[in-house]
Amino acid sequence: MPAVKLDSVSKIFRHRPALFNWLGREREGETRALDRITLEVAAGSVLVLLGPNGSGKTTTLKLISTMLLPDEGRVLVQQFNTCEDSRAVRERVGFAVATERSFFPRLSARENLDFFATLDDIPRKTRAERVDELLARTGLSEAADTLVMKFSSGMYQRLGIARALVKHPAVVLLDEPTRSLDPGSAAQFWNLVRELPAQNTTVILTTHNFNEAVAVGNSVAVLFKGTLAAERKLSATMRVDELRSFYFQTTGELEEVEPVASRSLR
Amino acid sequence: MSLLSTLDKASVIVRRDLLTAVRYRTGFLLSSAGAVTELAAFYYLSRAVGPGFRPEGLEYFSFLLVGTGFFTFLLMGVHSFLQTVQEAQQTGTLEVLMTTPTSPPVLVFLSAMSAFAANTVALLFYLAAGLLFGAPLHLNFAASIPVFLLSVIIAISIGLLAAALQLAIQKGSAVVWALGSVWFLTGTMFPVQTLPKPLRDVGALIPITHSLEAMRMALLEGAPLRALAHELLILSAFAVVLVPASLLFFTWTLRRARIEGTLSFY
Repeated sequence: MPAVKLDSVSKIFRHRPALFNWLGREREGETRALDRITLEVAAGSVLVLLGPNGSGKTTTLKLISTMLLPDEGRVLVQQFNTCEDSRAVRERVGFAVATERSFFPRLSARENLDFFATLDDIPRKTRAERVDELLARTGLSEAADTLVMKFSSGMYQRLGIARALVKHPAVVLLDEPTRSLDPGSAAQFWNLVRELPAQNTTVILTTHNFNEAVAVGNSVAVLFKGTLAAERKLSATMRVDELRSFYFQTTGELEEVEPVASRSLR
Repeated sequence: MSLLSTLDKASVIVRRDLLTAVRYRTGFLLSSAGAVTELAAFYYLSRAVGPGFRPEGLEYFSFLLVGTGFFTFLLMGVHSFLQTVQEAQQTGTLEVLMTTPTSPPVLVFLSAMSAFAANTVALLFYLAAGLLFGAPLHLNFAASIPVFLLSVIIAISIGLLAAALQLAIQKGSAVVWALGSVWFLTGTMFPVQTLPKPLRDVGALIPITHSLEAMRMALLEGAPLRALAHELLILSAFAVVLVPASLLFFTWTLRRARIEGTLSFY
């Protein structure tokens, strides 16, 4: 049984301009963010979603988390439908969103995690221990009692990851989790992700970083303009440049800008 | 969801709000000073009007004290629902909160109850300060309780409608504005009997009119429960209609926002 299954899922965002649209120029019509995506993610695996900006990666994660509901098709998490059994899905899914500042600014990191852990139904007697454990695993122990409004982007991101893990989720969704992390913190985070499948946790991670994809992924799916352009298993011997070539062949985008040196020779 | 779990959630929400409030430091002092200034203004207004003006046979300052205090309490209660949703949208916490297993109506309800608790304390301070200014109260505490509870239930329902409107069209403030702008129809500062018949009829359709009438009878005239039966019946009718209607509307708008992807729009 797959941990997550997207069955011919489409998501459409409609643009409804305000009254008196002649005063400005607001877009009309609709955007098909996802177009009949079918995808299965095996339990205890790490799927990396690659794709250019606007390809539908975050929309996919939001659909799995129940933040969004599909217009067509169905999304199943451990066989629970996100439309019909949303509570069961939310009990099983932890989501580290890309919005860094999605915390209560005048609460400390510990207080924020305790708050979300309570809403995630973590029993009171184990909550403090769980919060401390996650603060340690994300390298935030020293900043545990600092108000989060004083946090840097990277610290927010680590706290977001801790929050996603606090409920012992069966499925963890990570939206560009290392975007603001320094290389050392990113490496520490990759180790953390690698440990999750051993606990039978399924991870779906979006990134633009090929190193990250190769470091943590068991498979990749490339989204392009809302469609599933390609899927591929990642072997232990997969090289970063191999994945990079695969990605650019799939999307048909320009692989790299010309080196600075060659421009200066002109 | 068990009662224990709900109480646990309520306690962390109250703690969050309390910590946020005290960490704003000067905010509490400023709002207290504002309330005292307002009372002083009403005190001197009633003196300027003179002892000859006795609305409903009551001393004018007492009439104003209960009218403005309870009206503000109910209006702020409604506003707190809107504020809960608006702040969560602006900080980016709304989407994350919606991925916890706690049901959204419960979440909004508990958040608003926390704000109601703070408003109740403010109301008690306001009434106590009014006593220092020499307002005579002839209190029937037992009779004031059902009036208070029914009024709060109605305010919760209207607040939920405001929260739903905020999700649907990002303009929940319209409800608060509408309620605030009809104060002159509700008998807040002068008796409704001075209004022409058509306006009195409109005022009778506003639940706060009946809340103020009943509250004045309980707090200023020491009226027994039996004497309040008519107003209590009307308030109960409002509650019976508004509670399910607001819950249904909130649930529907939340689902729409999840389909349209507008959950975090503000």
